[in-house]
Amino acid sequence: MTALGLFDNDYDDEGFRTCGVTGMDVHRSAENHVKLFGLTAVVALLIGGIFAFTVAMTRWEVIGLLAPSDFYTHLSLHAWNLLIFWMVFMEIAILYVGGPMILGRRLPITIVAKVGYLAMLVGAIAVNVSVWTASGFPDENAPLLTAYAPLQSPTGFYAGVVLFIIGAVVAALPFFLTMWRERRENPGQSLPLVAFGAFVTSIIATEALVGGLVTFGVTLLWRIEVIEFMDPAWYRQMYWTIGHGSQQINLAAMVTVWYFLTHVVGGAEVVSEKVSRTAFVLYLFFINLGAAHHLMSDPVVSSGWRLFNTSYAFYGAAFASMIHAFAIPAGLEAGRRKRGKGGGLFGWLTSAPWSNPVFSATMFSIILFGFVGGITGVVMGQMQVNMTWHNTFATVGHFHGTVAVGTTLAFMGLVFFVIRTMFLRNLTFGRLASLQPYFYAGAMGIVTLMMMYAGLLYGVPRRTAEVVENIPGTEFSLSAAAPLFALLGIFAVLAILAGAVFLVVAVTSLLFGDRVSDGDNSDLVADGGLEVDGKPVHAYEMRGTFLVCLVFLAVFVVSYVLNWYLLSELWSVGL
Amino acid sequence: MKPPDGNWWGQSINRRETIWLGLSGIWSLLIFGWMSGYTRFGDQNPIGETLKVSPEEYQQKLSDYTDEAGETEEGLLVPPDDDVYLAAQQWVWQGAPVVLEAGREYDIHLSSLDVQHGFSIRPEDALSKQMNFQILPEYEWILPMEFDDPGTYHVICNEFCGVGHRTMHGRVEVVEEL
Repeated sequence: MTALGLFDNDYDDEGFRTCGVTGMDVHRSAENHVKLFGLTAVVALLIGGIFAFTVAMTRWEVIGLLAPSDFYTHLSLHAWNLLIFWMVFMEIAILYVGGPMILGRRLPITIVAKVGYLAMLVGAIAVNVSVWTASGFPDENAPLLTAYAPLQSPTGFYAGVVLFIIGAVVAALPFFLTMWRERRENPGQSLPLVAFGAFVTSIIATEALVGGLVTFGVTLLWRIEVIEFMDPAWYRQMYWTIGHGSQQINLAAMVTVWYFLTHVVGGAEVVSEKVSRTAFVLYLFFINLGAAHHLMSDPVVSSGWRLFNTSYAFYGAAFASMIHAFAIPAGLEAGRRKRGKGGGLFGWLTSAPWSNPVFSATMFSIILFGFVGGITGVVMGQMQVNMTWHNTFATVGHFHGTVAVGTTLAFMGLVFFVIRTMFLRNLTFGRLASLQPYFYAGAMGIVTLMMMYAGLLYGVPRRTAEVVENIPGTEFSLSAAAPLFALLGIFAVLAILAGAVFLVVAVTSLLFGDRVSDGDNSDLVADGGLEVDGKPVHAYEMRGTFLVCLVFLAVFVVSYVLNWYLLSELWSVGL
Repeated sequence: MKPPDGNWWGQSINRRETIWLGLSGIWSLLIFGWMSGYTRFGDQNPIGETLKVSPEEYQQKLSDYTDEAGETEEGLLVPPDDDVYLAAQQWVWQGAPVVLEAGREYDIHLSSLDVQHGFSIRPEDALSKQMNFQILPEYEWILPMEFDDPGTYHVICNEFCGVGHRTMHGRVEVVEEL
C-alpha cells in the first residue's frame, strides 16, 4: 500500500522493523492496521467536532443557532461520532498496539481485522446517514446517544449500530488470537503491564459489546415489528451495558495509554507490578457494574440492587482508580529520580518534557480526568445525590470531564505519538503543536465546569434546545443561568478551535511533514533512555506524588460533602 | 513494556503507596457506608413502590382521580386525599397544575402515557433546590414527598421525548393550608 506514502515504512525480509523510540520489534501487519483504525478515528473526531460547534452554539441561547428539531439531530451525531466512533476505532488501534506490537508479534488473521473494520465503517456511516435524513416525529426521532425505547428512531440507525458492534467484536478477534498464541508459546511468562492492561480492556469491551448486540438486536426486531412489545425498563438496563460499558472501555484503554506514554516519553516505571495489576483485575470484575449509575433515579430497580451496583460492589473499581491515581505519577516520580531528574519535592515534574505535546496531553488527561471526571463520577453515582444530577446539564459536565478532557486528550497525545513513531513524520507547526494540549485542556476544562454549575446550581436540563432564556408556554425560565452559558459558549468555541488545531497539525504532518530521519525522534525518548540501572523502583522517594494525592483526596472529600449538603437542604422524598 | 523480571509479586511496596492504599480503602468503605446508612436515617431517598401498569390503566386511574379532585378558583386541582397523580405525555403534564399543602406527606404517582420522560422539579425562588426522576411508561412509581416551604414549584421534562420536549412544563403550588 502506498496511499499518500502513509503505509510505506522499510521493513526487513520478515516484515519487521525496530522502532527507534521504544525499541519494539514492529511488524508491518500490526503497524498498518493501527494506522488504518487510528486515521478513521480522527475522521470521526472531525465530524463529531463540527457538531460540537453547532450544538454548543445552540445551547448558548443568545446565539441560538439551530431550530429545536435540527438541534436533536446534531446532538445525536455529536454524541455518536465522539463518544462511540472516535473512541472505539481508537481502542481497536490500542488493542493492536497493546497486543502484537508490545509483544513483538505480527497481527494474525488480518483478513478478519479488515472485515471487522469494514463492518464498523459501514455501520458508522449508516448511523450518520440515517440520523441525518430521519424524518422526525412520530417514528423517526433523533436517537441522541441512548435511543430510549419506546421513542422510535429510524430503522437504519438500529441496523447501523448492530453492524458497527459486530464489526468491533470481529476486529478484536486478531488481538485475542495474538494473546492466545503468546500464552501458548511462553507458558509461565508474565505479560508486560501494557499488554495486560490491553487484555483487561478487551474483556471489558467484549462484555459491553455483547450486551450492546443483545440490546440493539432486540430493539431492531421491535422496530421492524417482529417483536410487539418493548419494556422500557428492560431497555434501559440493557442499553446501559453498552452505553456505560463503552465508556469503561475508554477508561481502561486510557489508563493503559497513561502507563505506556508516561513510560516512553517521561521515563516512568511501574512502582509495583503487584498493585497496578491488582487494580486492573478489580476493573475486570467490578467496573461494568457502573452501568447502574444511570438507573439511580429510576423506578423498577430495588434500592439494594442500586446500592450494590452503583458502588461497583463496595467501590471496588473506584478503589482501583485511586490506585492508578497514585501508581502512575509515582512511577513517573520514581523513574525520573532514578534518572537523576528529580531534585526536591517536585523536581521530577518541573524537569519533565512539558513542551512535548505527547507528554503534556497525557499529563493533562491524568490530572483533569482524576480531579474533574473521576471525582464527579463517584459523587453523582451515590444513589441519593444522583437525584440532584440526573439528566441535568451537570451530568453532561461529568462525562465531558471524563471523555472530552480525559480520554480525548490522552488519545490526542497518542495520535501525535503514532504520527511520529509509526508514520515517521515530524509534526508541523512546531510551537503551535506544543501548545495545543494546553489550549485544549484549559478551554475544555472550563466548559466542563460551567456545565456542572449550570446543572447543579440552576437545574438546567440536558438535551434541550432552549429553556434557559425561554420555556415556550410559560413565564418561567432558568434565565438566572444565562451568564454561565455565555462563558460556556465562549470557551466552547475556544475548545473547538483547539480541537481544530489538533486536526490541522495531525493532517498536515501526515501529508506534508518531513520524514523522520536519524535523531529527529530523540526528544521522544525519556532522559537517559528507557532502561537505566539503579535501586529497585519502590526504593525511590514518592513524596511529591503522595502530596498531590492528598490534595486529590481533600478535593474529593470537599466535593462529596458539598453535594450531600445540597441534597440535605431539599424537601423530603422517598421511603 | 517488558515482562517484569523474576518474582514481581514478591517485590515490596513503597511505604507511601501502602499508606495511600489504606486511605483509599477506608474512603471507599466510608462512602459506601454513608450512602447505605442514608437510606435508613436520611430524608431524601429515591425509593418508592413500583407498580406495573399499562398506559390505558394509568389514564383510567388519572381520570378517576381528577373526577374526585376539587378545583380552586384559578383552576388548580385539589387532590381528594394524600394521593397525587401526574401523567407525563408528549408534551404536557396531566394532573398539573395542582395545589398541595406544605408539611403534609403526599404519595406522588408518576407514570407516562407514551414514551420516557423526566420529572424535574424546583421552587421558583431557589433554582439550586431541584430534584429529578425518570418516568417510564408501563410503570407507576409512587414517591412519598413532603414539601417544607410554600411557593410555586416548576416541573420541566428533562428526558428527550420528541421534538416538543422543551415545551413540557407543569406547575405545583404549595400553600400553607388548603
